[in-house]
Amino acid sequence: MKIKNKGLWITLFTAPCMLLFALVYAAPIVTVAYTSLCNYTTFSPPEFTGLKNFVTIFGDRDFLVSIRNTLLWVLLQAGFHVTLGLIMALVLRRKPMGWQVVRTAYMIPNIIPTAATGVMFTLLLNPSFGVVKPLWEKLGFDTGQVPNLFGNSRYAFWTVTFTWILYSGFNTIIFLAEMGAIDKEVYEAARVDGAKPWQIDRYITLPLMKNIYGTCVTLASVAMVSQFDIIYMTTKGGPGNSTLNLPIYLYKTASLENNYGKANAVGVIQIVIGISLVLLIQRLFMAKAGEEDGK
Amino acid sequence: MKKTPKGMLFLAKAAKYLFMIFFTLIAVAPILWAAVSSFKTYAEINSSALSWPSAFRLDNYRAAFQYAPIAKYFLNSIIIVGCSVLVTVALVAMCAYIISRFRFRLKTVIVLLISASLMLPAQAISQPLFAIFQKLQIFDTKPGLVIVYSAMGIPMSFFVMVSYYKTISPALEESAYIDGASFLQAFTSIILPLAKPGLVTIALLQFINTWNEFYFALMLTSGDTARTVPIALNYYMGTFANNYSALFAAVVMTVLPTIVLFIVLQRQVVESLTAGAVKG
Repeated sequence: MKIKNKGLWITLFTAPCMLLFALVYAAPIVTVAYTSLCNYTTFSPPEFTGLKNFVTIFGDRDFLVSIRNTLLWVLLQAGFHVTLGLIMALVLRRKPMGWQVVRTAYMIPNIIPTAATGVMFTLLLNPSFGVVKPLWEKLGFDTGQVPNLFGNSRYAFWTVTFTWILYSGFNTIIFLAEMGAIDKEVYEAARVDGAKPWQIDRYITLPLMKNIYGTCVTLASVAMVSQFDIIYMTTKGGPGNSTLNLPIYLYKTASLENNYGKANAVGVIQIVIGISLVLLIQRLFMAKAGEEDGK
Repeated sequence: MKKTPKGMLFLAKAAKYLFMIFFTLIAVAPILWAAVSSFKTYAEINSSALSWPSAFRLDNYRAAFQYAPIAKYFLNSIIIVGCSVLVTVALVAMCAYIISRFRFRLKTVIVLLISASLMLPAQAISQPLFAIFQKLQIFDTKPGLVIVYSAMGIPMSFFVMVSYYKTISPALEESAYIDGASFLQAFTSIILPLAKPGLVTIALLQFINTWNEFYFALMLTSGDTARTVPIALNYYMGTFANNYSALFAAVVMTVLPTIVLFIVLQRQVVESLTAGAVKG
């Protein structure tokens, strides 16, 4: 096939995309990498200081806590949250009564703005007018000591976790779509051979979900490495450092401390953690899928 | 084949329905609670969290409109999200077409760059973007947010679109070229019409992701000119701090359009999200 001015068209069609990319991704990434090695604040332009920012952040307890929290949230989300979505898909797969209503309702928390979720939980769990107080009274506890779930560092981490970990509707629809693509004849054959429903799920559906499980785990992990909205709207990382994670720490360093060099050093660490996690997960799930094929 | 006892079957069934009911409630109860509370008076909200309003008053909604230009935030969101959808779809439609059809020197580089940006945590690049935007004088403007959102939509839409183009047979263009069509003619009159379902998918994907975007709206706006709906919520938290009955109304108004749109377009939305996750 001969096309006139092929090279020109290739350039014209890809250039706009690449230009936008250069402005929004490439230029900032280069800047982040370079200024992370600089003394750079609102008032002083970047000036090379070597690894000083990295030494500073790794000597800061809050930073270490924010790495720990970020990784803990990744682990919880990749494990519990995605598995919950899978269980829901297994339940809805056989189309029990009302399954469409459940699927739609369960998807709603994943479709509304995350900032709104944050506001709603702030209201819902407010110690003076939220639902905690009446429930506390019904259980017969002292009404003078209604727990402040977001405001007490003993509960804050798990309260924040609660606002997202149960809402796995997005994973459910992905698993359902994947299950819908499984050849019906495989199921029919298993049924003829007398397999029970749980056996069908255990030996046919689940093994076939392996690759898509890897995809969901990757997406959940990436989302947790950059989880910001709900924490910002509810606790802003507090009380103390109990709900601090990398994005919140970075935001505070950039916007409140106005220390851009330090913020960008945090950014470098965030990028490194994000990419390492994705590569690790891919290796984990690819390897397993490979073994399966080799059998 | 052993038979499972009847009692066990019943228990399993009961557990299944309890599971379904529990998660349905967990999903919608906070929203319903906020909706019911939005009709209560300030005193009613304070006296009991679990009571019905004595009458369905709209005072809180009136107050919310009085305190904040909510309609303006919606208009901002519609303009910014609408433009970013158009830009992303246009750019990706062209770029993904080239990648799906031709071999050229920089192809691997382009694909590698785009797939690397898929795993980039957005906050990491926000400070330099802030600095660049101030220098270009597009900080706190609608075009500024349109630029960021369009770029952020590219990676996922790109891979969805490349795999969509691959389902269209190249024989169609070839016969057009034989008939003497130019490159542009073949693209606009043959490929684009066939690619429409793919384009709808990425448009919807881009719409959902940018409509809910919070972080860059927070970093790159400072006033009312470009404040979008999600970021307005942050502003309400401050403004309505002492008048949280209005805050209830504001939250309900924020989530309601999204929920209604989702229920109406459910099949399409689910399709788009799945395509984005699987192909991206």
